[in-house]
Amino acid sequence: MIVVWALLGIGLALGAELALGSIAPGATRYVDLMMLPLATYALRTSQRSSMTVGCVSGLLQDYWMEPRLFGINGLIKTILGWGLGGLGARFDLNNFGGRFAAGACINLLDEGLQAGIRRLFGEALAPVHPVTLIVRCLAGGLLTAGILAIVGKVGRARSAARPGRRKA
Amino acid sequence: MAAVSPVRANALLLGVMGFAQLLLMAASVRGSVVAGGISGAVGHATRPAVVAERSLSGTILAVVHFFGDLNAEEVANAALKREVTRLSGDVERGRERAEENDRLRRLLGMKEDLVPKSIGASVVTAQLGGQSRVIVVDRGSTAGVRADMAVVAWGGAVGRVVSVDRDFARVRLLSDPNSGASGVVARSRAEGMVVGRGGDALEMIYVPKYADVVTGDRVVTSGLDGVFPRGFGIGRVTVVGEPIGASKAIRLEPDVEDRALEEVLILLEPSGTRLLTADDAETRP
Repeated sequence: MIVVWALLGIGLALGAELALGSIAPGATRYVDLMMLPLATYALRTSQRSSMTVGCVSGLLQDYWMEPRLFGINGLIKTILGWGLGGLGARFDLNNFGGRFAAGACINLLDEGLQAGIRRLFGEALAPVHPVTLIVRCLAGGLLTAGILAIVGKVGRARSAARPGRRKA
Repeated sequence: MAAVSPVRANALLLGVMGFAQLLLMAASVRGSVVAGGISGAVGHATRPAVVAERSLSGTILAVVHFFGDLNAEEVANAALKREVTRLSGDVERGRERAEENDRLRRLLGMKEDLVPKSIGASVVTAQLGGQSRVIVVDRGSTAGVRADMAVVAWGGAVGRVVSVDRDFARVRLLSDPNSGASGVVARSRAEGMVVGRGGDALEMIYVPKYADVVTGDRVVTSGLDGVFPRGFGIGRVTVVGEPIGASKAIRLEPDVEDRALEEVLILLEPSGTRLLTADDAETRP
């Protein structure tokens, strides 16, 4: 069942990312919606599942959004899934502050890893404006906290509904 | 045998996945068939999500445009009438110039295909991030689109096709930091290379420091890169900075705004100047 939910989450994130690129292309600079399944699985499930979800969502992003280096987002999101999944297993990040910080940090690290790996493959790099980076981190943090709050509420509602269904 | 701890097992898994994806990246840079196959499989698996997204975002855009059009209709009609009057004059003048140009080219023993074969395409989505700027269009190999074809829009050059599948093609925009097109200043014919910097502005490099370039000059494609036919607009010069080494530092405001792209033209055949063949020469008047 976890695989079905993961695929559904990744599919929704991909659809939302593509729709954002179609409706408001300028916003794609500030928001990476494919980070959301990764953060959700890293903070709610195991390190291994967050790595796998990160890898799959990154490869899908590569196919649709990356002109040259197919696999770069897959690699970055696998690393971020490993890191955040490990932190999530050791510390309690399931509160607003923890979720916000996790979302902001993975967006910041993503920018750094993108630059490093692209340089490794001899790509030209665009300068990163601090304002863009700050907005991206804030948006990533807020979206991560928001999505995890919604997923948490849905999870609680489902677990509350299950015993009732059994009784009926 | 001692059991491997989950921490070590995950680190090992990270190493394996990371190595595999580094190989995949290297293969994609080299244009390997394996990378193409894997990327094709990924694209095939996600096609239903993209079709659903297209219908959803199409509906949202239609609603937004409907309400926007109600207010802007009268203003737009008046502007369009003025534009049609102006363009009619331009077309007449252009026709005369084309005839004159044709006569002169024949005198020079050269031939130009002025109307490149092209197909229209709609933009499915756009990624205008800092390190990569790409659009996806709804025409693929079944429509005859191939890698390295030029893509233009109303106003000028947009970018080049970098990868194609059956129904979609990805276009790297001129503003991508790894993009480039050869350009020429329309007024002084100073040549250079126009490159993206990841933002909305473009830069023109390799322009000799003694070249005659001033703010407001129009830069068009020169046709020397073998991708864009010559004469498509690229942008206007906004800043001519101090020379860096032997080259001028020139900044351009692009003619085509990436954020506003909805429809584009993919040029199916490279168009450029070529010398007349013996057969052409025989039929020459």
